[in-house]
Amino acid sequence: MSSNSASSTSGDDDFVDSNSVEDRLATVALADTVEEFSSPPPNLESQDGIGFASASEGEDEDAENDEDEGGVAVGEGFVRGGVVWGRTVSEIEVDAPGSPSSSGYAGERGSSGASSGEVEIDEVGNDEIKDLRNNDGEGVLDSQASWVPGKRHVDEDDASVSWRKRKKHFFILSNSGKPIYSRYGDEHKLAGFSATLQAIISFVENGGDRVKLIRAGKHQVVFLVKGPIYLVCISCTEEPYESLKGQLEFMYGQMILILTKSVNKCFEKNSKFDMTSLLGGTDAVFSSLIHSFSCNPATFLHAYTCLPLAYATRQAAGAILQDVADSGVLFAILMCKHKVVVSLVGAQKASLHPDDVLLLANFVMSSESFRQVTSESFSPICLPRFNPMAFLHAYVHYFDADTYLVLLSTSSGAFYHLKDCRMRIETVLLKSNVLSEIQRSLLDGGMHVEDLPVDPLPRSSAISSHLNLPKPVTDSPERFRDTCDGIAGPSGLWHFIYRSIFLDQYVSSEFPASISSPRQQKRLYRAYQKLYASMHERGIGPHKTQFKRDENYVLLCWVTQDFELYAAFDPLADKALAIKTCNRVCQWVKDVENEIFLLGASPFSW
Amino acid sequence: MARTSNKNIQAKLVVLGDMGTGKTSLVLRFIKGQFNDYQESTIGAAFFTQVLSLNEATIKFDIWDTAGQERYHSLAPMYYRGAAAAIVVYDITTMDSFVRAKKWVQELQKQGNPNLIMFLAGNKVDLEKKREVEFEEGEQYAKENGLVFLETSAKTAQNVNELFYEIAKRLVKSSPPTRPGGMKLHRGSRGTERRLFCCSV
Repeated sequence: MSSNSASSTSGDDDFVDSNSVEDRLATVALADTVEEFSSPPPNLESQDGIGFASASEGEDEDAENDEDEGGVAVGEGFVRGGVVWGRTVSEIEVDAPGSPSSSGYAGERGSSGASSGEVEIDEVGNDEIKDLRNNDGEGVLDSQASWVPGKRHVDEDDASVSWRKRKKHFFILSNSGKPIYSRYGDEHKLAGFSATLQAIISFVENGGDRVKLIRAGKHQVVFLVKGPIYLVCISCTEEPYESLKGQLEFMYGQMILILTKSVNKCFEKNSKFDMTSLLGGTDAVFSSLIHSFSCNPATFLHAYTCLPLAYATRQAAGAILQDVADSGVLFAILMCKHKVVVSLVGAQKASLHPDDVLLLANFVMSSESFRQVTSESFSPICLPRFNPMAFLHAYVHYFDADTYLVLLSTSSGAFYHLKDCRMRIETVLLKSNVLSEIQRSLLDGGMHVEDLPVDPLPRSSAISSHLNLPKPVTDSPERFRDTCDGIAGPSGLWHFIYRSIFLDQYVSSEFPASISSPRQQKRLYRAYQKLYASMHERGIGPHKTQFKRDENYVLLCWVTQDFELYAAFDPLADKALAIKTCNRVCQWVKDVENEIFLLGASPFSW
Repeated sequence: MARTSNKNIQAKLVVLGDMGTGKTSLVLRFIKGQFNDYQESTIGAAFFTQVLSLNEATIKFDIWDTAGQERYHSLAPMYYRGAAAAIVVYDITTMDSFVRAKKWVQELQKQGNPNLIMFLAGNKVDLEKKREVEFEEGEQYAKENGLVFLETSAKTAQNVNELFYEIAKRLVKSSPPTRPGGMKLHRGSRGTERRLFCCSV
């Protein structure tokens, strides 16, 4: 998509402005997509893992493209309806197990360690192919945990065929067209491309309008303007516009978390200000955020999720955190991976937005520097929903590989106080076995659809329906433990997400065997995301239920004033039975809400 | 500030320098004896404690390993305020980092504790082939500014323990029961230079 490769604007342009913009676009060549494959098989729709091997190529690149198919999209191709399909590199790379010893890993660390730079760069290409080969056999990972954050393919730029084939690009640039961040490729090499994006935005702005979306064949180009900062997503993943825009908002929020909104002042002083150096060493933060767009439903539900814990255990952890929160700590959050164990607000009764929790957790988890178990970190952090202008000071400490404590204070001199608080908290958590309970919960997982009670339990006997606590022996006959492979839960229930509107929290069931690979999970999340967007579409009024059957699933969505339920069933599931099952899920969630949600005492907002 | 109680000294030590010069690697080499080829960028600052026993005293270091990124620069005073010792690190393979190191030295001379014991460490001497900053250059600058100079390698552990032991020794010397006597050695000349800037503190 470089400015010198002119190709025609194809596809249905869906953007706000008039013909003049369209003409203009023809010259900047934004729209070069797969027109030659006019009728993709219908079941392609949500299979992101599969795409055209030759997607998004301009006509002028056919020759290059031929070469490329051998080199980049190795293997994996299969023939369907006479068209060669192959997994595109970007998808493979996302799901590929990153081995820390691989050269690609070394390359991406190059930004922080000066000595590790140059040498590795030319090896990245090999690594790419290695990744592909790794994936050849199973193409599947056992867990998402082995995804390694960090920048990949730094050697690419907008002239690279492989770069153009990436399914989802994210760019941050300044209003003078200077690149700030790019998901793929070296920002500095993308200066020309950034300038092109800037030209599009300012062209429309000069006409007194705003460009929000350009549709070009399979590609969507989504724009978000935040003062002097422009954010752009170019994607052919078929995600809804609202979702992509939400993702750009998160990207901006993550940037604000690192720098605060006062970065705008730098642009007021010098419009040509180069911001890349200010974000030095944060590639992993952004790449892991982008990764979470496809594996963390919090990114589209705008709610947080809790680690399932016995009510008493969570209370015990809450009590000690409340203690320190009262002593001048603004927020105290105990988290396990991206799940909240307990969180409390200090005397100021400030409120913590779920999006801030997500950005904070992403920042902490993706920065290896916090993980040094022998150290404690003290870092300025801005919570964009709380106050985008000011830094808070965060004390971060990992108790073990997964569990960490974040104490936030408004005072830069609070370190020693926060350190004392942490020591007190640690003592109590160890004494009351909270840390080992957390580890156990992590192993046991949350709600398994196989455990869905067959008949809704009467409220009075709800105690017996404990989640992952030692289950009473009488429990077992009530449950469907023995199910055949494909159909995990009763009546073909595969998975569900329940979002409590009042609590700003959601609970997501564990994935069954039928949705075990990250790619299948990503596909389901994308389907939920689409469902969420369609249920919340503006203008059409709030929808209450939706039942959708395709070749992958039956999806059922139910929105009430109190909750939203998203459920996925076997594609052959019976509609009436599915509805019945959803009622039982809701009842089940209510029965165990003490364990799966952070209730009462101190919710985030008052 | 170094606090003396009997023969125990608690001292705040701050490590400053450009990004990627190996500040964290030096600290981790000292504390854990480990080296990681791909050390991640530090976020904000990391806090470590380490106890060193000398014949004369036991020194408990509170080490602030700061992030080298530009965005954290304005927050640096938070970390070096009240420090008894500072290590300014540069990477001998990049002149830029040496230039940056000089700026840190200037800032510390202006803003830091006037009795601050300052060390200049030229790190990554294992990369002799890529050297851009000559030993003499570092030594000369250190001499002119009253710093203690060492070339180190966190990778090979060369001079790393020496660096911290040397700091410890000087802390012991500079913190006898009667505090004002602490000005000794070559630091006399620097002391007067510093006083000029006292008003800016």
